Amino acid sequence: MDFCRTVERLYAALPLRPFRDWLIRIHMDRCPRCQERLLSREEARSLLVRSDQTGDAAALWRRISEEAGRLAPAPKAKGNGGRLAWQWAAVSALAAVVALAGLWLLRETAGPGFDARAIVPADRFEIAYVKVGGEPAQTFVYHPQGTDTVFVWAQKTP
Amino acid sequence: MDEQEIIEGCLGGKAASNRAMVETYGTLVLSVALNVIGNRQDAEDVCQETFLQVFRRLDRYDRERSFKTWLLTIAYRRSLDMLRKKRRFAEFSARARFEPAVVGRPGDADPADPAPLPSKLLEVLSPRERTALCLWANEGYTAKDISEVLACSASTARVYLFNARRKIKALLENDHGLLQNG
Repeated sequence: MDFCRTVERLYAALPLRPFRDWLIRIHMDRCPRCQERLLSREEARSLLVRSDQTGDAAALWRRISEEAGRLAPAPKAKGNGGRLAWQWAAVSALAAVVALAGLWLLRETAGPGFDARAIVPADRFEIAYVKVGGEPAQTFVYHPQGTDTVFVWAQKTP
Repeated sequence: MDEQEIIEGCLGGKAASNRAMVETYGTLVLSVALNVIGNRQDAEDVCQETFLQVFRRLDRYDRERSFKTWLLTIAYRRSLDMLRKKRRFAEFSARARFEPAVVGRPGDADPADPAPLPSKLLEVLSPRERTALCLWANEGYTAKDISEVLACSASTARVYLFNARRKIKALLENDHGLLQNG
């Protein structure tokens, strides 16, 4: 019993992990008295959530599938190669039209006499830097989804 | 479908294999996240992020290692990220002195679903200690297995586990008031 107390005092006195591990291995793991003062596996299980208590895994899949679906390749269509080719052709034609329209717009705005100052700046929040006490500070910007509110939190860099 | 078939299917981008993986390991990942974070909704977010990362990076999985341990390593890291995010926001909201509105997510919560939360006693443990205790008690992991998940040495993992078991036992023996809440 005295030896157990000595080991405990040593454990508390020297917070070095290798030393503590050594004490655990040479004494605490083997000593019945010390083991009684540790939580058993059954006691721990009664406090923790087990995998069979978390509910239905299918519900998890429903939640994940939407995102996972973007990663998975689309299933190959059988016997509709002609229709697929037409779809590709239509999409390609549309992309070409959009690209040509974009080029035409760029050409118009890049012409002589164009006044860059006439462009209204985009409505966006910008912050170049923040100083606290004359020093560059750690800055966090929070923008709650669906609102126009922006929170800026700055604190001294530790 | 066994583990290797599921992995091969996921590598091939098969949705059925992705589903099989979530249905095989989903509750395991969710239980670990729940024990580390202590909040069902955040644990479900962590679970989702974990599987999405697994699907994206499955090609980096080393077949020499246990898949379960690799998966739990990702879940543990995502859980730590979530805790850091929550702590940062808690600090921010404490300083800003405002009450964040609780926004319900319709469809997420089903009153019929079991939504157990870990004991309040676990709050005295650090996230590493909670993870070590959870893996040891629920999964039967040894200190060496735990060290792979926590990315530390086996001796460090042993100390985390020992401290966790000792702290909780001391609280139980002292008939801590938190027991009634647990």
